Amino acid sequence: MRALALLVLLGVLALVPVSGVEWAGYLSRVLVLLFIYIVLAQSYDLVGGHMGYVNLGHVTFFGVGGYALGILWNAGVPFLGALALATASSVAFAGVISYPFFRLRGAYFSLATFGLVQLMQYSVLNFKELTQGSYGLKVPAGERLLPMYYLTLGLVVAVVWSSRAIARSRLGLAMRSIREDEEVAADFGVPVLRTKAIALMISASFPGLLGGLFTWYILYINPEMLFGIEIALTPVAMAMLGGSGVLAGPIIGAIILRVAEETLGTMLLYLHTAMYGLVILAVGLFMPGGVVRLGPVARWLERRSPLAGAR
Amino acid sequence: METYVQLIVLGLLHGGIYALAAFGLSIVFGVSGVLNLAHGEFLMLGGMGVFALRSLLGGNPFVLALLVLPAAFVAGYVFELGLIRPIAARDERSRVASAVLVTLGAALFIEDATAFVLRLSGTDYDVSVPYTLPSLFVGDIVISYLRLLVLVLITLLTLALGYYLKVTYTGMALRATTQNRRGALLTGVDTGRLSSITFGIGAVLAAAAGAFEVVLASVDPSLGLPVTLKYLCIIVLGGLGSLMGALVGGAILGLTEQFVGFYSPAWGQTAAFFILVVVLLVRPRGLFGTY
Repeated sequence: MRALALLVLLGVLALVPVSGVEWAGYLSRVLVLLFIYIVLAQSYDLVGGHMGYVNLGHVTFFGVGGYALGILWNAGVPFLGALALATASSVAFAGVISYPFFRLRGAYFSLATFGLVQLMQYSVLNFKELTQGSYGLKVPAGERLLPMYYLTLGLVVAVVWSSRAIARSRLGLAMRSIREDEEVAADFGVPVLRTKAIALMISASFPGLLGGLFTWYILYINPEMLFGIEIALTPVAMAMLGGSGVLAGPIIGAIILRVAEETLGTMLLYLHTAMYGLVILAVGLFMPGGVVRLGPVARWLERRSPLAGAR
Repeated sequence: METYVQLIVLGLLHGGIYALAAFGLSIVFGVSGVLNLAHGEFLMLGGMGVFALRSLLGGNPFVLALLVLPAAFVAGYVFELGLIRPIAARDERSRVASAVLVTLGAALFIEDATAFVLRLSGTDYDVSVPYTLPSLFVGDIVISYLRLLVLVLITLLTLALGYYLKVTYTGMALRATTQNRRGALLTGVDTGRLSSITFGIGAVLAAAAGAFEVVLASVDPSLGLPVTLKYLCIIVLGGLGSLMGALVGGAILGLTEQFVGFYSPAWGQTAAFFILVVVLLVRPRGLFGTY
């Protein structure tokens, strides 16, 4: 029954761009952005929610994937090869940074990963021969809304399914044990460093691939777009708003924040960023643990949704 | 030779301004356990305040800054009371999450609202207070008195702060709470009120840095988050809650930026962040960190 409801929802979403309705184009664009944010928030939450390491630099994986695709594709590598390499470079990047950064814990880890965002932005600005610096990178043009829509929808399904599988696996258990108490986990034989590195690399693979697709779809990228501070913090805010560590949390958070930004942007001529800030602020003040941990929502999710299963 | 002296003066100057605001962020984190992403907004507002007063009243920007600082203290105090106190009691993980949401939301709000007010008043997006003093000539070396004055002011502020932390009751309570919150509570420290005061002090330090910034360079509404990030790096580099760490971290960042930037302008900022990563590799708790 629950699986059926999800299938119907996916079917409806799959029909949106080809429905022929007047505003289907606009809606598809809005949904592509939503899907992108869901993938970012959900993959962030693997490390941020399930393992308890608040990684404020998650967006760097997205940026590395995006730039890798742009550079490789422009250099003549066939598109699919470039996409695979972009994903791989993002995963490799995660593997490399996992050693120095996972020596830090708690707020220190968050601070340092936040610094990483800025470091990447400056690096991209400085390696001008490779990245065109602040001029930004262009890739061959084309109208790609329709394939992008289905690809990102597919990625949403993939990331949610993988998160669920991981949460129920031995790896997921190891990650949760690290979140609850790292010393105890290590004493009981959990390979702490390896688990953290693997979790980070898995969590980097989705944004890596997505970053490549994003460059391909948006045609032009610059450091501010891929390594900006606000795009770095938005997926984290989404996951926390929806409820970190619960499968449905990042999805709900992404939907709420996207809807809030979209409506505020169209309703208000000025100050919509300020209102958006107030929304985020109010959630932090009044909903500790996010939407999914509010009493009625939590009970409803327990009863109905297969997404609540993995805690 | 004179180039190096110039670079050192500039580096220490910028480093000192960084250290001032970064230490504010550091004590706020130490006492309340909250990562305040809106810290840089106080710097921006401090600079804006000096600019606004200068436009209305005229006069010496450093004197006007003395009017801005008490306002900054009140702003920080109220900020803690209204936004941080409600989330401070939560358990650690949900506190980190709530703090990111609340302070990020506040930062976005302050940034956009300030930009809106600037647009209404028809001012440029990028504001600065023009103020110059004659220069000091030592042989071939030319140093602007303005820079020296700022350097002296920063030094005085740092000494005053060090004395305050060492000697006064509030200062000692502040250090105690940073070390061990429960222990401080048990010995009768009102950690709630102390947290408000600390936010006030943090805001004052940030606003002072903003006042220097608006005189020496310029300030714009979107300055807040990027400088917050820079300060976070400094306190990670120097070690949390340590005045010495913030000073050294700030000086390292300022000097690297100036020296590397002199030879290759684009790499100044990048080099500073690379140093951060190297320090983390060698000494994860920061140069002067104790935990």
